[in-house]
Amino acid sequence: PPAEGKAAKPSFTDEAVQNLLYRMTGLNLQKVFRPVKRALKPPKYKLMTEAQLEEATKKAIEEAKVKLIMPPVLNEREPIDDVLAEDKFLEGTETTKYVFTDLTYSVPHRERFIVVREPNGVLRKATWEERDRMIQIFFPKEGRRVIPPVIFKDEHLVTVFQQDRHEDILNMCIAQFEPDSPDYIRVHHRTYDDIEKHAKYDLLRSTRHFGGMVWYLVNRKKTDGLLIDMIQRDLLDDTTSLITLYHMLHPECQSAKETKEGKLQGVDLIKVFVKTESQKEGYIQLALQAYEEAMATSTAS
Amino acid sequence: ALFAGNRLLKGYRGGHVVIRFAMGGCTNRPFFRIVAAHSRRARDGKYLEQLGCLDPLPNAHGERVAGLNLERLRHWLGCGAQLSRPAEKLLGLAGFLPLHPMTVTGAERRRRRAQETVVPAADVSPGPGDAF
Repeated sequence: PPAEGKAAKPSFTDEAVQNLLYRMTGLNLQKVFRPVKRALKPPKYKLMTEAQLEEATKKAIEEAKVKLIMPPVLNEREPIDDVLAEDKFLEGTETTKYVFTDLTYSVPHRERFIVVREPNGVLRKATWEERDRMIQIFFPKEGRRVIPPVIFKDEHLVTVFQQDRHEDILNMCIAQFEPDSPDYIRVHHRTYDDIEKHAKYDLLRSTRHFGGMVWYLVNRKKTDGLLIDMIQRDLLDDTTSLITLYHMLHPECQSAKETKEGKLQGVDLIKVFVKTESQKEGYIQLALQAYEEAMATSTAS
Repeated sequence: ALFAGNRLLKGYRGGHVVIRFAMGGCTNRPFFRIVAAHSRRARDGKYLEQLGCLDPLPNAHGERVAGLNLERLRHWLGCGAQLSRPAEKLLGLAGFLPLHPMTVTGAERRRRRAQETVVPAADVSPGPGDAF
C-alpha cells in the first residue's frame, strides 16, 4: 500500500480533503442522535411551533457537527530506544526492574519522563506500551483500561464483525489507544477491510469514522465497492466528491488528467473514472445503467 | 472537639524537613509513600506533602512501579529538606540524583561474597571500585 507522503501529496488534515470527507459522511440526524444505552429516564415531550422546531433542528445540526469531528489519522509511531546510563556493576543487585514516572501535573503526557532501571543496571527510557500503562495508572482517563481488553485481538475482532458492531469497536478503540499506536492503526485497518469485503459501508455513514475509512480506501485504491454502494443509494454528489478526492491523492492517474483537460462533471466524471481506474468495471456500469433507468422512469412518470 | 485541637497544633523543638518513605498497606503487603515531613513526626503520621509512591512488590509485568513528583521534590530540596538513605538510593536508581555510594558498595560486597562461595581459596577480588 502506498505511504502517505506529506511533501507533494495532500494529507488527511488539509481543508479541501476534510471538506470532501465531511460531505461524504452525510448528516442523518436520526442515526447520530439515536438512543445510547444510558440510565433510563422518562421521555420529555415539548409542544413547539414550526419556527421553534426549525430552531431546534438547527441547534441539533450544530451539535451533530461537533459529534462528527473526525479522529486523527497519523503514521505509526517510532519505537523508543534510548539509554540514559549504563551501570554494569549494579548487575545482580535487583531481580525485577523499576519503572519511575514523573508525576508533575503541568507536564503534557507526551513529554513526561518515564524511565526504567533494568536488573542489569541499564537506565533506559520506557517503551511506548510501558508509557501508556504508567500514564493510565497515575492519570486515569475514562473509558481506558491499564491492560488493553482482549477484544482487540484479531481472533476476537472476527466475532465483533459478525455482529455488525464496527462502530462500537471503533469507539472503544479511540478511547483505549493513542492515535499513532500500532494497535489503533491495526484495529482500524481490520475494521475497514472487513467493511470493504462485505460492502457494509452504511454502518459507518453519518458517524465520525466514515472519513477515516474513505481516506484508507482511496489511498489503497479500493474504492469500487464504495462507488457501487453510493450509486445504488442515489448519492451522486458523494460519488463526485469521492472521485475528486481520488484525483487529489493520485494526480498522475489517467482519469485525473482527462478530467483536468475536459473539465467533466457528474455522470461523465464517473464514466471516465470507471473506464480507466476501477477493477469491477462491469458492476459499476450495471449500477450506473440501473440508476439512469430509474432517473428516466421517475422523470417520465 | 477540645482534644482534637490540642493534638493538631503539636509544636516540636528543633527538627527539620525530611523526604522519606511512609509505609502503608496491609500485612505482608507493604506500600511506600514518598513524603516530605518533619523529622520528629511519626513515620506514618501527619506530613507536609506527598511527593510520590513506590510499590515494592512486582506487578503482573514484573516491574516495581514508582511515581515521583519531580517539580515538588525540587521545591522541597530547594527549601532545604534532607533525604533519608532509602530515598537517596531510590532517587539514585531513578537517575534524578547520582548513584548512592552505598548502592555501589553493596553491589561490590554482594559480588565478592558470591565469588568467595564459588572460589573459597586464593580469592583475589578485582581492584577497588571508585566511590563517589
